[in-house]
Formats: sequence, C-alpha cells, structure tokens
Amino acid sequence: MKKILEVRNITKVYPGVRALDDVSLELNQGEIHGLVGENGAGKSTLIKILAGVIFPDKGEIYIEKLPQKFSCPLDSLQKGIAVTFQDLSLFPNLSIAENIMTSQNIEEKRLILNWKKINKLAKGIFEEFGIQIDLDKKLGYLSVANQQLVAIARALVHDAKLLILDEPTASLSRSEIEILFKSIKILKDKGMSILFISHKLSEVLQISDRVSVLRDGKYMGTYPTVEITEDELISYMVGRKMHYKRYATNKPGDPLLEVKKLSKQGNFKDITFTLYSGELLGITGLVGSGRTELAQALFGINLPEEGEVFIEEKKVQIKSTNQALQYGIAYIPENRQIEGLILDKNLEDNIVITILERITNSMRLIDKNKKSSIARHWIQKLNIKPAYPNMLIKQFSGGNQQKAVVAKWLAFNPKILIIDEPTQGIDVKAKTEIHQLLKDLAKEGLGILVISSEIPEILAISDRIIVMQRGNMVAQYKNNKVSQEELLNKAIQKTSQ
Amino acid sequence: MKTKSEIVLLILFISIFMILSVVSQGRFLSFDNLQIMAFQLPELGMITLGMMVVILLAGINLSITATSALSGVITALFLTNIETGNICLLICGAIAVATMFGLLSGLLNGYIIAYIGVTPILATLGAKILFEGISLYLTKGGSISGYPKQFFIFGNGTIFQIPIPLIIFIVFFVITYFLLDRTPWGAKVYSIGSNPIAAKFSGIHVKRISLQVYIYSSLLASIASIIMISRYNSAKAALGQSYLLESIAAAVLGGTKITGGEGSVLGTLLAISIIQIISSGFNMLNVNRFITNAIMGLLLIFVLSVDYLWGMYGQRSSIKATNY
Amino acid sequence: MSRLYQRKEFNILMIIIVISMLIALKNSSFLSVDNLLDLLKNNTVVGILGVGMLLAIITGGIDISVGAITSLATVIVGKALVNYQLNMFFILIVSSIFGIFLGLINGFFISRLKIPPIIVTLGTYNLYGGLNMYFTKGTWITNLPEYFNSFAKIRIIGIPIQIFFLIGVILLTYFILKYTLIGRGIYCIGGNEEAASRVGYNTNNILLFVYAYIGLMSGIAAVVHTTIVRQVAPNAFLTGYELTVIAAVVLGGANILGGEGTPIGTLFGAILLGVINNGLILVRVSTFWQQIIIGIIILFSVSFDVLRNKRIEAKMFKIDVQ
Repeated sequence: MKKILEVRNITKVYPGVRALDDVSLELNQGEIHGLVGENGAGKSTLIKILAGVIFPDKGEIYIEKLPQKFSCPLDSLQKGIAVTFQDLSLFPNLSIAENIMTSQNIEEKRLILNWKKINKLAKGIFEEFGIQIDLDKKLGYLSVANQQLVAIARALVHDAKLLILDEPTASLSRSEIEILFKSIKILKDKGMSILFISHKLSEVLQISDRVSVLRDGKYMGTYPTVEITEDELISYMVGRKMHYKRYATNKPGDPLLEVKKLSKQGNFKDITFTLYSGELLGITGLVGSGRTELAQALFGINLPEEGEVFIEEKKVQIKSTNQALQYGIAYIPENRQIEGLILDKNLEDNIVITILERITNSMRLIDKNKKSSIARHWIQKLNIKPAYPNMLIKQFSGGNQQKAVVAKWLAFNPKILIIDEPTQGIDVKAKTEIHQLLKDLAKEGLGILVISSEIPEILAISDRIIVMQRGNMVAQYKNNKVSQEELLNKAIQKTSQ
Repeated sequence: MKTKSEIVLLILFISIFMILSVVSQGRFLSFDNLQIMAFQLPELGMITLGMMVVILLAGINLSITATSALSGVITALFLTNIETGNICLLICGAIAVATMFGLLSGLLNGYIIAYIGVTPILATLGAKILFEGISLYLTKGGSISGYPKQFFIFGNGTIFQIPIPLIIFIVFFVITYFLLDRTPWGAKVYSIGSNPIAAKFSGIHVKRISLQVYIYSSLLASIASIIMISRYNSAKAALGQSYLLESIAAAVLGGTKITGGEGSVLGTLLAISIIQIISSGFNMLNVNRFITNAIMGLLLIFVLSVDYLWGMYGQRSSIKATNY
Repeated sequence: MSRLYQRKEFNILMIIIVISMLIALKNSSFLSVDNLLDLLKNNTVVGILGVGMLLAIITGGIDISVGAITSLATVIVGKALVNYQLNMFFILIVSSIFGIFLGLINGFFISRLKIPPIIVTLGTYNLYGGLNMYFTKGTWITNLPEYFNSFAKIRIIGIPIQIFFLIGVILLTYFILKYTLIGRGIYCIGGNEEAASRVGYNTNNILLFVYAYIGLMSGIAAVVHTTIVRQVAPNAFLTGYELTVIAAVVLGGANILGGEGTPIGTLFGAILLGVINNGLILVRVSTFWQQIIIGIIILFSVSFDVLRNKRIEAKMFKIDVQ
C-alpha cells in the first residue's frame, strides 16, 4: 500500500492547551480515511496544519514520502492537498462554473479566458458526480449542500492527491449525502485519497475504509471500518477518564423560565423544557445542533416563529435584547472576542457596559467612583488576574477574558444566565474556577442554562441535562447520572433511530 | 496613550502658530487677525464636532455641509419672507426652523443608515446630492440675503470682546464632551463604533443610538448654519463647502480613528485649531485659495496615511477567535 | 433566451423605452433621429466616466475625484492643442497617460496604505481641483485649432464620432471584465475580498489597476468632452459631476455593495439619466430639479439593493432540522 500522506510527531500548543500532542498518522493512497474525535480533540487543528493555514510547533509532514513545509495555503494546494472547510470561501456573485475554475484560472495565468473551455471543464467535473446543475447560475442562489459540492469540485480541478473534507455533511439532507458519497467514491476510483472528518459516526463508518481517532490532542489509533462498531468507536473517543470535578447537585426552586414547543424553521423545533431557580440545566449536542440558535432566541436575537415562553410563570414575548434584559436574562456568547468583549477597551469599561445607567450620579453623568468600585468588586470576586482595571482587555488571557464577560453580566444582576461554551479555549485551572463560580451562582438562586459540546463538562456541573441534535431535543435527563457514552450517542446521529 | 497624542497636537499647534507669526512678520499675531480667526473657527469647529461623532460610530457624514447650507437657506427664506413686527419672535422662529431642519435631516440619514442598513458613504452621499439640489432650487443658484439687523449678532457680535459664535461653539463643545465622555450614551457610542456586535450582545440598542448620533450630527450642522449665514449675510448652496474635507481631516488629526470606537474631544479641538490657523495663515500670506484647497487635500491624505502606518506599528487588535 | 428577460440591464432598457414613449407623447420631436443622436452624444462623457467608476463600485469602493482628474486632463488637452498643435492621436495618448498617472496616485493610497477610497478621493479631488484652478486661474481656452474642430464634427454613417469613443470604451471594458483575470479578480474582490486573496489574486495590484483605469477613462473623456464643447473651462467638472456619474452607474444596475454590474448596464444608466433630464427640460421643469431627482434616485436604489440583499440572506437556512 503506497502511503500518500504521513504526519509524524505533530505538536501544536496554544497558551494553556495542547491542541495536538505528538500525533502521528498515515493515509494510504486511494483510501477514504475517516477522522473522528470530540470537540477539542484536535481535528480542526490538524486540518489547518495540513492546509497550510497554521504551522506545527513540532513534527513533520510527508507527501508521497517527500518531506513538506507549507508556508501558506497556496503552498499546500500546489503540493496536492485540497481542503474544503466549513466556510466555503466561494463567491456568491459569480457563476458556479467560474467558482469551480477560479484558482485554476489564476494558476494558469491566462491572458484571455476561454469561457467555452472553462464551462466545459466545470461541467465535466460535475458530470462525474452525476448531478445536473445549471452551471451558469450564480452561486449565491444554491443551497448550502450544492455549494459544498462546488467547493469540492473546485478542489478537484487542481489535480489534488489528497482531498480533505471538513464536516461536509453538516447541513445536508439524506439524499444529498448519498449524492456526496457517490461522488466521493468516484473520486476514490480515480485514485484520489480522501480524509473525511465528521461527527456523524454512522456516515464515517459507511464511507471510510479506515478510521482514526483523536482524543484530547492525542492519537488513539486507526481501525479498519469493517472491524469496528460505533460503540467501540465512541469508547475510544470518549475514554474512561473523568476530567472535571463532579459537583453535588442542587435542589431546584421555583420555575424561572419555561419554554413550550419553541420552533423556528431551519433553526430548532419543538423545544420544551423548564429552568428552575438554583439549578444548572445543561444543554449539549454537536456543532450545528441548534443550541446557540435556541439560546439567542431566548435572548431576543434570533426570534422564534412558534411556541411560547414563560418567565416566572408569566407568558412573555422576547422581541429584542432590551426586552430580554428587562426580564432579567443574560447571555454569554460562544465567541467571546467578537461577541462578548470590546477588545479596544479596558477591563473596567468592559465590565460596566451592561450597567451604565446604574453608575450615574444625580446629574446622569457617569460616576467614576461608582464605576471603579463596582469593577473592582467583580474583579476580586471572580479573581481576574492581573487585577488592573485599566489594562486593555485584549491583553488578558482567555480564561480571564471569559471571567470578564461573566463579570459584566453578573454586574447586571440577572435572574437567568445563559452561557454558551463557558470554557472554550481556557486552561484547566481557569476552567475549574469558572465551574465553581457557576455552581456558586446557582446556589445563590440564579437559573443557569449551560450550553457545551464538552460532555464531561456538562456532566460535571449540570443538575439536569438536555441533548439536542439537528434542532430537536432528543433526550432529557432528570439528573446527571448518565454516562458519557450515552450522551455522545444521543448527540451523534446513529443509524438505528 | 490618549494624553500623549494630545500633547503632540498641542506642540504642533504652538509650532505652526509660531512659524506663521514669524513668516508673516508679526501680522499673524495682530489683534485683528486673532479676532478674525476667533470668528471663523466656530464654524469649522461645529462641523467637525458633527463629523467626529459620526466617525466614532465607524460611519461618515458626507452630507454635513450640504445640511448646513440647506439649513441656512431655509432659515434665510424664513427670515426674509415672514412679516412680523416682533423681531425677537422672528429670530427665535428662525432658530427653531434651523433646529427643526437639523433634526429632520439627521433623522433621514440615521434612518436609512441604521434601520435600512445602507452604508453611511452612500446614504450621506445621496443626501448630499439631494440637499444641494434643494438648496439650488430654492436659491435658483444665487444667494439670499437681507436679514434683520439683530440677526447679525450670531455671526458678528461680541460679549466682553469674545465673539458670540465662539461662545456658541464652546457651549456645544462642552456639551459634546460631556455627552461623549461622561454619559452612558457616550460610552455606548464608543462601544458601537468599536464592536457593534458585542455592543448589541451587551444589550445596547445599536440602531436607536446610531440614529441619535446622526441626528446630533445634523443638529450641530444646522446650528453652525445660523452662525454662517449671519456672518456672511447671505445663504447659498455652496455655503461652507470647504468644511467637508477640513472637518474629516480635523477629526482624524484630533485622534478619532476612521474605523470608529476611539476619539478624543480635546484632541479634536486642538486639531480644529491647527486646521484653522493653517487656513487663516495661508490666507494672510496671500497664498492662493486654490493652493490652500490643494494642500488641505494633501493634508487629509497625509493625516490618514500616518494614522494607518501608526496603527501598523502599534498594537492593533485583530479580532480573531481562538478556536482550535 | 428566457434568461434575457431576467437580466437587470434588460429591465433598465425597458424603463428607458417606456419613459421615452411618455416623453414622446408630450413632445413628438423627442423621438427624432437628430434628437436621439444628440442625446446620446451629450451623454458620452457620463458614459465613459461611468464605466470607469463601475470598476470601483464593483470592488466596493468609489472615486469622487474623477471629475477633478477629467478637468485637469481637459486643461492639458487644451494646452497641448493650442501650444503644441499635437495631432489627435498624440492628444489622446497624452491625456490618457496623464489620467492614468493621477489615477495611480489614488490607487496607491487605497491599495497600499489601506485608506478608505472615499477619503483618498476626497483628498485628491481637492488636491487636483486646487492645483487646476491655481495654475489656470480659471481662464478658459477657446482658440482651439481648426483641425480639432473639424475632427469634432466628423460623423461616420451619420453618427457623431464621440459616440464611437463611447462604444469603443464600453467594448474595451466589457472585454476586460469578462475575459481577463484582472476583470474576474475585480468581481471576486467585490464578492468576497478575503477569499479573493486566498484564492490567489493579488488584490492590491487589482485595486491599483481599477483606479488607474478610472484615470484612463478620465483622460479619454477629457478629449471627448473638449470635442463636444470645443473649448476648455477648467472648472467644468468640479461642481458635483462625479455624483452624476455615480448615479448613472447605480441606475445601471450595479450593486452598490459590490460584486455586480456591467458596462452595458452603465451605458443604459447614463442614457436613462439623459432621457430623464431631457424629458424634464421638455416638460419645462426647472433644471434645479435635476439634482434633487438624482439624489432621490440614488437614495432609493441603494436602499432597494440593501433591502433585497437582506431578504435573500434571511432565506438561507442554517440547520437542516428534521
């Protein structure tokens, strides 16, 4: 078996986190190779390294036994690696045919473009997929699924040796997936090698020849798909280690938030649950399961189309963030640097941004003393380090930045706190601090909705757990006495439904 | 960091002032000249403040001088066509008319930009064309003059030797300072300019506040128009044209980042002064006004080039998510 | 064939025909060949400058110095004619090179120093305009040589020569936009600027080209304009002309947010503007209304474009909910 790709001892470290730890992997030519692992296992990092977007701290890459060093994405493209990321990098205002041929046209440095030839080549590639699409149509009008195929087609035009597909089926329907798989098999028959990354284990097992597992940045093993079951795969992905301290569960108080059959087309469907004061309700599921869309609906950003919401047993309609705030709902978003913080401002300014009206004096002007004392209070309470209120927030570490976001919402004194991926990209010590903080807040009477794709985290801090998948609630547990495997099972699409 | 650039501006101001004094052989320092500048500066100052608040939001108001001109024209028409014996009432009415127009034009701009979502460049460009057209129509290309004597104090009067327009400007300068730097509203404006997404997620009503900023901008422009038509004793479509470019240059020179979110009201004041003394100085040295125009254009580009290059060397935050 | 009816440019042509019919009802001389040719000839300058501006707008930028560049170029043309008696060919070359040079200055600050196009061109508008008025002191040049005036009156198959310049420029721009990498790169930048550089385009050089091209168009327009008015007034284009050009491009179907637009569309946009103006005059509406109407048109069409984009975005589903 000829080896098309080999990576050896790849290590990539971010502050406080080992994204990839001494990973070695090999792909045979002409095989479809699946790559699985939980969120944070290191899959995206590995792909980005192979695509030439980021560079490893240690380790080597070999393509057909020749060592490689990529200095930019075009480099890896020229060496034969084509990647379709989840954000497709296509041009919505251009035709499909042109999108497919763009990079090729540039590489050939043609002075005059021969549209007949371009359209013919594009058509040829698409015909191999067996799909009829009018290639003159503008890309922007295509469904995401078809745009996916266009991205793959573009990758193919370069005579790629290795095609890496990152979560290609995330937004595809059953029939579209079948078409995609047929296309992949055609490519394999032509001698192409494919690295297929997905959370959907059943699909991975269906299409791949072999599958490799990453866990916590480490390589766990490679297995022929004919010899392994989904359950075994899950156990390799999840491992038996408990990462987090398990906290005692709280006794819930009065119902704070009740949601009945909340639905929005293309986002989520029939969501029903109740959040009580004093409890941590965990919502888990994979990326794309609709958790963030649901959270934003409750915060007045992504308005639902059907269903009812009750706050403290009174029916409400949350039509804007201001209304959400009036009802005492706070939302800590997933992407803290873009959505949660104003990077050009200092720590103090970021903390008080939600309570500006409360720190004014009798003349409606901001009272600097009130401002700094409130800021200091929260800096101390959350142990934000270094405790410099005037330091620019972008200079703080990820963990402290997250604490700042939490501080700004705690300063607001909410009744309900929705927190989306509370410890993403944060070192272990800070993670524990934040978990303890959330537990303490619940004890003080807050109702907290915790959204996380890290199952061990959900198990550690939640009192009750909901699992979402593809916009639906697929499981609800009255406590946290459920296994990691079962949660992962529910979150991932299984063949036996 | 903020105070450092303000000190640089102060030094710049003093240096240019001294150079001009020397080159003009002392004429620059004459009481007459200082007085003229004191009368002229408020106009540029008001317009620059109006431009600054909008740039803070990461926007721009290309229609600000057209707003000023049209406001002046409408006020002039009011003053010259309304028959009443009560001069005081007439003048109050004129001020009310100007203010009303300022609010309405700001509402137009703000609505199209904040609620419909058109980019500020295009929306205010369209408004500029529209307002200029209306001004031309109303004035038939000429100018309107002949206001009651009492109206002249706005542009020409003094109290204890201090020009009234300067007093008006200082009042609005202080108001703007307090609004931007000392009220919750101002903090929200800075936040929106720096990161509108995070601002929205923090419960800030981005649309409403953006609308209010454009209204305030136009309001400043229309009050400036009262000063201007009073001083020139005429209102025409081209009133204050040169201030458009100068106000942008002054705002950026004063430390307002063209990308929004950062600015210094004090720095802007210093920058306004610098631009004013350059403009007046050139005039006094009989530099052809076209050359002055050309140099202002060059200055604008220069100021922004420095702004960009400075940002490159400093620590500009690139908003990247640490996803891995 | 059915695709034709869906295209924006076709719709604009329909609007032109409808409005022309309406005007013809009131004033039958409107549809005479002479009047139509005149109309076209008077709008050649807007058209030529328009296709230049189109490139900037496709990339999501703008150039408000185009009037100032054209004005300066007309002065150069005038001087070259009167003082050096250059023949038409060289006049065209000199004017073009001059325009390209001024355009490159814009392009440099926009592409290398990343200063927003609106600000750079606002600055150069004043710079070029100021220098222009200073050196010419506003004096008109009226004693253009006879051979120039003869050239200006040439008609080929009855069509004034200026129109051929317009056609030539449109064909050139059409070719560049459709058949060259630079042209496709311009659309890519307008569609997704980051992806454009990821995919391999040198976005800096493309932007440099765009503003230099506008300069080229200004140079050509300067010559054409001078043949129409047969004199040089240094302040000819310094009173808001660029806004008329932008209006023509916007009316011609170019998407204000970038990524879309064609030279034919711009041509139709210029013609539509001309028809509206002509119509207003014939119906005896004062010329002062022209600018008001242009302003309203711009505001409406940009709002329309934005709202349309928003509707399309809202329809995109994020998750395939079962």
